[in-house]
Amino acid sequence: MEIPISYYLLLSGILFTIGVVGVLTRRNAIVVFMSIELMLNAVNLTLVAFSKQFNSLDGQIFVFFVMVVAAAEVAVGLALIVAIFRLKQTVSIDKINIMKW
Amino acid sequence: MLFNFATALVFLIFGGLFVLLNLGISRILQARNPHPVKISTYECGELPEGESWIQFNIRFYVVALVFLIFEVEIIFLFPWALVFKDLGLFAFVEMMIFVFILLVGLAYVWAKGDLDWDKPQSVPAPELSQSYEQKEVTETVDS
Amino acid sequence: MNPSEIIQNNINSLSYFLPELILTGMIVVLIIADLLLKKENSAWTSLLALGGLVIAFVAVLNQYDLGSRSIFNDMLAVDPFALYFKLLFLTSAAFVVLLSIGSVELAGRPVGEYFTLMTALTLGLFLMASATNLITIFISIEFVSVTSFILATYLKTRRRSSEAGLKYTIYGAFSSGLMLYGISILYGLTGTLDIYEIGTKLAASSANSLALLISIILMLAGFGYKLAAVPFHFWAPDVYEGAPTPITAFFSVGPKAAGFALLIRFFNVAFATEATNGEWAAIAGVNWSQLLAVVAAATMTLGNLVAIVQKNVKRLLAYSSIAHAGYALMGVVLLSDQGVYATLFYLVVYYLMNIGAFLVVIVVQDLVGSESIDDYKGLIWRAPLPAIAMGVFLFSLTGLPPTAGFIGKFYLFAALIKGGPGFYWLAVVAIINSVISLYYYARILKAMYFDQQDEKEPASLAVSPYYVVLLIALVVPTIFLGVYWAPLADLANYSVEFLRAL
Repeated sequence: MEIPISYYLLLSGILFTIGVVGVLTRRNAIVVFMSIELMLNAVNLTLVAFSKQFNSLDGQIFVFFVMVVAAAEVAVGLALIVAIFRLKQTVSIDKINIMKW
Repeated sequence: MLFNFATALVFLIFGGLFVLLNLGISRILQARNPHPVKISTYECGELPEGESWIQFNIRFYVVALVFLIFEVEIIFLFPWALVFKDLGLFAFVEMMIFVFILLVGLAYVWAKGDLDWDKPQSVPAPELSQSYEQKEVTETVDS
Repeated sequence: MNPSEIIQNNINSLSYFLPELILTGMIVVLIIADLLLKKENSAWTSLLALGGLVIAFVAVLNQYDLGSRSIFNDMLAVDPFALYFKLLFLTSAAFVVLLSIGSVELAGRPVGEYFTLMTALTLGLFLMASATNLITIFISIEFVSVTSFILATYLKTRRRSSEAGLKYTIYGAFSSGLMLYGISILYGLTGTLDIYEIGTKLAASSANSLALLISIILMLAGFGYKLAAVPFHFWAPDVYEGAPTPITAFFSVGPKAAGFALLIRFFNVAFATEATNGEWAAIAGVNWSQLLAVVAAATMTLGNLVAIVQKNVKRLLAYSSIAHAGYALMGVVLLSDQGVYATLFYLVVYYLMNIGAFLVVIVVQDLVGSESIDDYKGLIWRAPLPAIAMGVFLFSLTGLPPTAGFIGKFYLFAALIKGGPGFYWLAVVAIINSVISLYYYARILKAMYFDQQDEKEPASLAVSPYYVVLLIALVVPTIFLGVYWAPLADLANYSVEFLRAL
């Protein structure tokens, strides 16, 4: 039984939206990073689905790169959060606001 | 095809109902008699200290971060291993260069002492940064 | 293609990849050198980095007789367009290394990683300028982003620096997520990741224009983030203020120019077809040049309006650099060789005057210990040379003759007028914006030349000879290019011709 590609796209669209909403509404820096991961994984799902559709490996190779880059980005982000926590004892984005306008 | 999903859906619904029903029955029938000792994490033996939401030592983060980076790089070895026989020597040399660069990174982490567990507490800032810090405090007050 | 052909192509490509290989080797050497050197000697790594940049510069110059070609199985392009940007990146990186050597902000800190990351950032910019595949586009953008995150946070014990880094990281990761979704939609529409193939496929068959529009808007998030264009500019002021000033100078030039390189190459190749000599047509269904024109207008207007109320010079320059991204975008929306040529020319001019302005900020910061405009009062009496140099750079940023900034803006407006009445409104917006910008640049000038200094301040400040040399090295070309700009214009023109030659 073949699952049509629109199902995958729908799922990834939903995941992506959840991720975007999470980034825009959550105030905890770690949760924000989790939401960004969700966005990237939605993209991965789309890429793999299209890759299967077109019978080409390009999309799957792309997914490898996305995963590695996401890991690097999150590693830097978490390291920054640790550094900020040491300075300010908080990871809330609302409280990280010395600079405005 | 839709029918197959329908069975899964029915299964999900009944599974959920089953769990909720049992929890509800026990909720109705149970004798509720809370007591500080009874609701503590260990009812006998250990005396719990503090809350269960504790902060992990920050050293775990450093190790986890280093692990995260090097672990994910392995992903590139899988497709390489799959076609290794077709590609021959060149691919081998290419991947060795890749691994070498990763090893330089590992050596860097090692030499900087981030893999040592009993890392002496680094003194983060010379006096310079402190003066910067103080100035910033006054700056924020002004603005 | 069978495996042996692919491998042969890769091996052949290596010789055209020499500048990047030199930078890669230099990064590894720098890491090892940083481990071997003692902490107090880590400043020596700056000279190593500088040496690497110079060697790479020579290697790039040597590539000019190669013509244009595609390497690594169509992953990257080596053409005069990319080389033009690579020369720009190398000179700006070298200048920033020189600024960092003298900087008081960085004194007493271990700087081995700093110069390693700077070289890595330059390598990332190189890849951005030559990427022709969606994979390489994505990787190069992320390469630049991740190294920038670390550099912005380099003074991590300062609150501003670490806050800037976190904001930068969150915005960066978010916009790259949006861009990736756009890429995945584009891949779904065309079934390929190569931008030339995408261009031919989109031109041949009319894809669903709504899906294409969504994809373009999402990808603009990624590019716009690198350009600091509205509405993806939020990170810029905070990062520019919080990062070490030499790094701020680099951010305002390097990644921005690389963003333009990528934007021009990608949009003109994938989403346009060449109609007649030097003029392109946007693909049917999606009028992205109008979209970019609106972004350009919004970017310069917002940048200039918010800059008016700033009290911190670094922050003011951040908003002014947002506005300048808007000006430079005007050349891209025209869809003509002349527009791209004007943008290329403007980016070099902008590099000179903006790094110059930041250099003066560094000098004053070292002498007075402040970035506030109030502390620039009476600078002309206390430190004449930086004050005069700042005057030249600010005149140039405003676009007044006889400075390079005037010529850069002149080319942009000329291209805009020649492009036909469709974009006259953009020219009007840009002229109004130039007038607004004169107002806030004049505020700094007034503070420096006409305001009385506070009496408690020392009467005169000694500028170190090192900074004097650097200042002169930037002031002279800023004025010189305003008088005799033909060689640079020729080079920019030559670089455009090869844009679609692959």
